[in-house]
Amino acid sequence: MKNLLDFVIRHSSWFVFLLLAVMSCILLFQSNPYQHSIYFTSANSVSSAVYGLFNNVTSYFHLKGINEDLQERNAMLENELVGLRSQINDYKMLIPDTNAVPSDGYQDFDYVIAHVISNSISQPYNYITINRGSDDGIEPEMGVVDQNGVVGIVNVVGRHSARIISLLNPNLRLSCKLKNSDFFGSLVWDCRSPQYAVLEELPRHVEFETGDTIITSGYSAVFPEGLIVGTIEDKMPTNDDNFYTLKIKLTTDFSRLSTVRAIKNSMKDELDALKQSDYEKAKKGGSRK
Amino acid sequence: MSKSVLQFAMLFLGMLLAQIICNRICLFGVAVPIVFIYFIIRLPMNMSANWVMFLSFLLGLSVDIFGNTQGMNALASTILAGSRRWVFSLYFPREDDMTNPVPSIRSLGPVVYAKYMVTAVLLYCMAVFLIQAFTLRHFEITLLRIVSSTILTFFVLLGIDSIATTRRSEKRL
Repeated sequence: MKNLLDFVIRHSSWFVFLLLAVMSCILLFQSNPYQHSIYFTSANSVSSAVYGLFNNVTSYFHLKGINEDLQERNAMLENELVGLRSQINDYKMLIPDTNAVPSDGYQDFDYVIAHVISNSISQPYNYITINRGSDDGIEPEMGVVDQNGVVGIVNVVGRHSARIISLLNPNLRLSCKLKNSDFFGSLVWDCRSPQYAVLEELPRHVEFETGDTIITSGYSAVFPEGLIVGTIEDKMPTNDDNFYTLKIKLTTDFSRLSTVRAIKNSMKDELDALKQSDYEKAKKGGSRK
Repeated sequence: MSKSVLQFAMLFLGMLLAQIICNRICLFGVAVPIVFIYFIIRLPMNMSANWVMFLSFLLGLSVDIFGNTQGMNALASTILAGSRRWVFSLYFPREDDMTNPVPSIRSLGPVVYAKYMVTAVLLYCMAVFLIQAFTLRHFEITLLRIVSSTILTFFVLLGIDSIATTRRSEKRL
C-alpha cells in the first residue's frame, strides 16, 4: 500500500495531466451539441455580463454602416409597399368583394429584437451570443435574422442571454431554394471564408445564372419562406453527376453583426405536434405490419 | 510570496481579458493571436508541475467558455503546461543556473528566451488547431493557420513582454 502511494505521489504530475486531459476531452466530445451545459457556453450569466460591457463600447463602431443598410432596406421595402398597394387596388377593381382576396398564408411570425454581444467568424465552429434569453421569449431552435439575411438558429438559452449556432458552423444545414423556382438544396458552411457558403444537392437540370438570389425554402418552421440568404457566385466541382454544388455569397456580413431578430413562429408548436403525430402513426402502422 | 501570487492572479485575469478581445481578431482569415499562453510561458520554473497544469487548464477552460470552443483550449493548455519543462530544458539544460525562476529576457537572455517562446507557441498552435480541425481533410488550411498564428502570436507576445518588463524596470527606478 505504501509503495502504491509512493508511486502515485512520485508520478502525480502524470495523473494530474491525464485527469485534466480527460476532463477537457469530455467537454470536447460530448456527442450531442444541444445538450451542452449552459455553464460551459457564453450564454452563462458571467460571460454574458462581460460581453455586455464590451458590447456597450463596440456597438457604436458599426452604427454608420448599419444605418446605411437599414436605409437601403427601408427604401426597398417602401418600393415594395407601393407596388403591393397598387396591386391590391387593381384586385379591388377586379373583385368587388375584397374578402375574396386570398391572404398571404396563415403562418404567423413574430420577432424579438436582440443585440449581438459576442460573435466569432475565425473558428471552424462559430457561435453568436445575444443579450436576450428565456425571460424575453427566446426559445431553443428559433431562427435568427438581421437586416441583410439569415444569421443562425438559437441553440442554448439562458435567462438573459442565448447562444446561436451561426450560419458559419458546419453543424447547421439550412434548406434553401432558388428565388422564383421551387428547386431546393441544402446550404452549409465549408469552414473557409466567412463570406461564402456552399449550396449542395441542387438538382442538375435546374437552370440558373450567377448572381441569382437564394432564399429560405420555408420547409421547416424555423424560418419563414423567402428570407434572403445569398447570391450564386460560382459552380463548384463535384463528384456527383445528379446534383450541382454552388458557391454562395452570403448577404449577411458576419464580421459586423449588431442587431438581430429572433423569429417566433406561433404555428411552430402546432406544426411540431402534427409532425410528431404523423411520426407516431407511421410507427404504429409499421409495427402492425 | 503573496506579492508574486497577486501578480500572477492579475496576469491570469489580464490575459483572459486580452484573449477575449483577441478572439475578435483574425488576420487574412487565418492568423489568430493567442495571447493568453503568455501566462503559461511566464509561470516560474520552480513551481510544482501539478499547479502549472491546473492553472493552465483553468485559464484554458475560461477562454473556452468565453469563446464557445468547448474544451479545445483547455486540452491544448494542459498539453503545453505538461510539456513546458521539456521545452525549457531543450534550450536551457542547467536549470539551477537561473538567477530568477521566472523565464524572461533578463533571466535567460534574448536568444534562449525567444527560442523557448517560439517553441511553446508553435506547440500550442499545433495542438489547438489540430484539435479544432480534428481531421486531415483540409490539412493545407490547418497548416497555414498553425504557421501564421504562430508568427502572429510570437510577435504579439514579444510586444506584451516588452510592455510588462518596461513597467517593472520603471518601478525599480
